[in-house]
Amino acid sequence: MSSVRDVVVVPSTLALLPSYGGLADPVADLRAACTSAVQWLVERHPSSIGVVHGPARSDNVARGVTRPAGLAIAQHLLHTDSSVPSYLSPRVEVDDESVSGVLVVANGSATRTEKAPGHLDERAAGFDEVVGRALREGDPAALRKVDEELGVDLWCHDVPAWHRLGDLVEGPVLRAVVDYDDDPFGVQYWVVRWQCGS
Amino acid sequence: MTLRLGRHTFADDAMLMMAIVNRTPDSFYDKGATWAEDEAFDRVARVVDEGAEIVDIGGIKAAPGAEIDVAEELRRVAAFVARVRTAYPDLVVSVDTWRAEVGRAVCAEGADVLNDAWGGADPALVDAAAEHGAAIVCTHTGGVTPRTRPFRIEYANVVSSVIEDCTAYAERAVAAGVDRDSVVIDPAHDFGKNTVQSLEVTRRLGELVGTGWPVLVSLSNKDFVGETLDLGVGERLTGTLAATAVCAMAGARVYRVHEVTETRQVVDTVRSIAGLRPPARAIRGLA
Repeated sequence: MSSVRDVVVVPSTLALLPSYGGLADPVADLRAACTSAVQWLVERHPSSIGVVHGPARSDNVARGVTRPAGLAIAQHLLHTDSSVPSYLSPRVEVDDESVSGVLVVANGSATRTEKAPGHLDERAAGFDEVVGRALREGDPAALRKVDEELGVDLWCHDVPAWHRLGDLVEGPVLRAVVDYDDDPFGVQYWVVRWQCGS
Repeated sequence: MTLRLGRHTFADDAMLMMAIVNRTPDSFYDKGATWAEDEAFDRVARVVDEGAEIVDIGGIKAAPGAEIDVAEELRRVAAFVARVRTAYPDLVVSVDTWRAEVGRAVCAEGADVLNDAWGGADPALVDAAAEHGAAIVCTHTGGVTPRTRPFRIEYANVVSSVIEDCTAYAERAVAAGVDRDSVVIDPAHDFGKNTVQSLEVTRRLGELVGTGWPVLVSLSNKDFVGETLDLGVGERLTGTLAATAVCAMAGARVYRVHEVTETRQVVDTVRSIAGLRPPARAIRGLA
């Protein structure tokens, strides 16, 4: 039985990581939205947050990077790391009854424009609309149906995380708030907060 | 190490300018300025006059875009290679391609170097070079597909990855029959790398030079320079030259460039600072 009460979604862009930072912040608005949403989650669940993210990309694993990017981003936003599991343990099962707050690190396609990382794919808008509508309307069942194969075609490697979120939230989503919805680099980002019933 | 580029041999202390000549309508820097063949030929004349030892002729822009098949790539470069070869017998003619079929055709027209910007995506390219006695440039892309942008690519150690992949590619070229003196490695700034990774490769270029393979750097006006300084494509010469100086100090041998004169001046200055080249004229304090 899931005990999830609140969910925050942030994107899996590496631009959120300080190790890739510059003098100016190219994602300042996004970062502010992420920080605010994560703070909201931490205040409500100070010792019981689980993280949902996609797997480490196989090409990055082959280069020696085994930690999933989504986990690194979650740890950064939660101000912790795997060796200090004060209120985050990446090993925790999110359907564990001790977990009531969930941070999901995932985004949409990366093929929305000709300047996008994956160049323009006309299917991107439709794919992102499916995910975006599910997030806006608090529809976990719709997230469970997101097409993983199409996601990979569109350079979205986070579909397993969308599926996991869909599985986790069993009760109704009482309130869905979209704090950020934009594609500044041709990659679809959302920052969303859900409050769930049980 | 003596460097042999097709018909041409260079001393082990020579630093060479490889001038970019795009036979494309849409490359990021010149945006089609040399798309017309006569314009491209004029560019060759200009860079030869500026002292470039090598021209690097490319028929496909690196960024994603319309599919350019083999036939179209050959239409853009093969006859042009023959024209340049005939007009400038002392010039090293390089062709920027990842395709073996194109490589064979341009070598038959007189190309000396196959510059594979895409890290051995076509494994038969080394065979094409070997069959024609051509040199080959072995780049590192982290395994990305040709004409794709890097997207959240990470490395446990980017320089180790560069060295491992480039040297493996170089040895594969030698095993295929390419002369060991005709193999060059290129870390390929921006290719399969974000800006932080390209900066680290620049900072640690000496480790690539330390492999013993001649190192080519392609820095010219690239995004890692633009992002470092927050400048657009037309404003990156100073940053490019700063990166060039660092690579020259580390011992890079070949510089793939848009601006030949400026790059040559930087490289010559660095060589003089390093004690490898006397000043052109020194009278100050000496008269």
